[in-house]
Amino acid sequence: METEAKSRCARRIVVLAVMILALLALIAANINLGSVRISLSEMTRILTGRAADATAADIVWKIRMPRLLAAVLLGGALSLSGFLLQTFFNNPIAGPYILGISSGAKLTVALMMVLVLGSGRTMGSGWMIVSAFVGAMLSMGFVLLISTRVNRASMLIVSGVMVGYICSAVTDFVVTFADDASIVNLHNWSRGSFSGISWGDIRVMTWVVLMTSVLVFLLSKPIGAYQMGESYAQNMGVNIGAFRVELVLLSSILSACVTAFAGPVSFVGIAVPYIVKSLLKTARPLWVIPVCFLGGAIFCLGCDLIARTVFSPMELSISSVTAVFGAPVVIGIMLKKRRGR
Amino acid sequence: MKRTRVLALFLALMLLTVLPGCGKTAENVPASGLGNGTEPVSHMELQYARQFSVDEYADGCRLITVQDDGRYLVVPEGVTAPKGISSDIVVLQRPLQNVYLAATAVMSLIDSLGVLDGIGLSGTQADKWYNDNAREAMEEGRIRFAGKYSEPDYEMILSAGCPLAIESTMIYHKPEVREKLESLGVPVFVERSGRETSPLGRTEWIKVYGVLFDKEEEAQQLFDQQAAMMEEAEKDEPTGKTVAFFYISSSGSAVVRKSGDYVAKMIQLAGGTYIFSDLGEEDSSASTTAMDMETFYQKAKDADVVIYNATIAGELDSVATLVARNPLLAEFKAVKEGNVWCSDQNIYQETMQLGSMVLELHCLLTTDDPAGTQLHYFYHLK
Repeated sequence: METEAKSRCARRIVVLAVMILALLALIAANINLGSVRISLSEMTRILTGRAADATAADIVWKIRMPRLLAAVLLGGALSLSGFLLQTFFNNPIAGPYILGISSGAKLTVALMMVLVLGSGRTMGSGWMIVSAFVGAMLSMGFVLLISTRVNRASMLIVSGVMVGYICSAVTDFVVTFADDASIVNLHNWSRGSFSGISWGDIRVMTWVVLMTSVLVFLLSKPIGAYQMGESYAQNMGVNIGAFRVELVLLSSILSACVTAFAGPVSFVGIAVPYIVKSLLKTARPLWVIPVCFLGGAIFCLGCDLIARTVFSPMELSISSVTAVFGAPVVIGIMLKKRRGR
Repeated sequence: MKRTRVLALFLALMLLTVLPGCGKTAENVPASGLGNGTEPVSHMELQYARQFSVDEYADGCRLITVQDDGRYLVVPEGVTAPKGISSDIVVLQRPLQNVYLAATAVMSLIDSLGVLDGIGLSGTQADKWYNDNAREAMEEGRIRFAGKYSEPDYEMILSAGCPLAIESTMIYHKPEVREKLESLGVPVFVERSGRETSPLGRTEWIKVYGVLFDKEEEAQQLFDQQAAMMEEAEKDEPTGKTVAFFYISSSGSAVVRKSGDYVAKMIQLAGGTYIFSDLGEEDSSASTTAMDMETFYQKAKDADVVIYNATIAGELDSVATLVARNPLLAEFKAVKEGNVWCSDQNIYQETMQLGSMVLELHCLLTTDDPAGTQLHYFYHLK
């Protein structure tokens, strides 16, 4: 028994170490690769603050760094958000957008475009970010409101899907009054991108994502108890009603933050937690939460590297790439579930 | 319950953090002068354009003010920018080289001025240019593709030493791109000629590029030529013919130009009457509107001439392909009488040829032999 426990622990440490190495390798690749070639010696000088070429230093510090940090933070947030909802619904294909968050965000972004830009005025990127965040949180709030009346998790999924439909319908209605430019740009927004992230954005998202992630980590114990079943968690002193609200709220804050800064990014929240749990061979939150964050960061860093370099200077939307790698994983989960029946 | 309260507090704190992070709405600052006591010695005379103005200063500097957007001080080669000017003014030192051009309508103006070599980067790929010189320059590598307006390759733009990005009003939908470019030290100039309601106002934007690329006299001459062409077409009595200009979208609705749009004005200048006289206000940012087939049929079926707008929907090769888009079109008077035309896909890139287009419109409205009339920007559908 003891040897088995040791071997499980060793496996987890190895997985964690490999993932940290993979993250470091991808960070190095993201810093080094781009449409402009920067030699290793110049890169070393830039990173140590002794850059001779100011343009190259700007490329690294003002373009590549904020973008890769966004991929790390938002990828981690999305993966964690997915893990929380999968725990909540006890369903491995429950994703962060199942509660209609992306539809709510898209609706408010569409409203901003039609009302502000349609009247000939202009707006800053902050307004787009806040409108997407508010839209996401409003749709989540609506789902939570329903959840206070309905006590079944499955009904919450139905509520989320319905809220998504309502938001999409209202978005279509709003788009009727939009000009061609708004329609094209709304479509582009809904495909997600880490392009154009600034250090100001990084400061805000770091605060939101890291604080929320810490709160999630502090919930490890009740999450672990909840995974054993509601009755078990109740017996362990977990207030199920409040705990469910906390799970949904924290998950929503994380995915709303991603949607606000990068638009909806598909499949990360479903595929990564599943891969992580398979690698760790456990669903224990103490391990899964940090490794999920790490996994999401790795997945998004890799996908973003592909998105911006394969057809450079043309850039692919991040969701196109995450779908290519994430969708097969989801199909795999469904096939495995079917075989398990 | 205590934990839930802590969570609620956290949420409130977080919103407080996020909200002040909002960017400010871009505001037009209609200040006079440069803000250091220097006043303009004269103003560029503009006949039709309403979206920009140019103030001329003693040392050859020009202050371009773009309506509801920014102010740009163009400083001649060899002259130092004046000190103490307002912080909202962007200084552009001539000569401008390696400019990133993401507004397709501008290429025609730049090419006409003969300053294509000032453009180093393009937001449009070579095969998407209808302007031969632009396409050739890209194929030869003199102009490089640097990503679309929505996702530019910031690294390429920065490493090319780009002094200016010329964007269309599409950039208003991607404010983060504009902010990123500006944070990298690349000023963004928004080309608002598409918001001009007069076709000659659109063409008059060539004067802006004349200032930017030191070709003011040439710009004036080219503008005068186009204005003369339009005036020539306007001299004739109105033909009394009504014109429907539209395309059928993928969702099946008819997309038409608004009544105050420059295309409607071009039809009017050519002696025709745009069939939709009451569509939308002139100050709206949208130039087109989608119309359900019922309303479109009721309003346009008796139009004397039908012009299919191929810019977005693609070119047609016959009346049959037009009718295939909607069989109701077969009932149109113009279709029955053979007065159906299709525009070339390039008409929106040819900003500098609006005078020629008005002449062609005049020609297609007055010809007795539509089938035998050969035009450059429009062709007859049989």
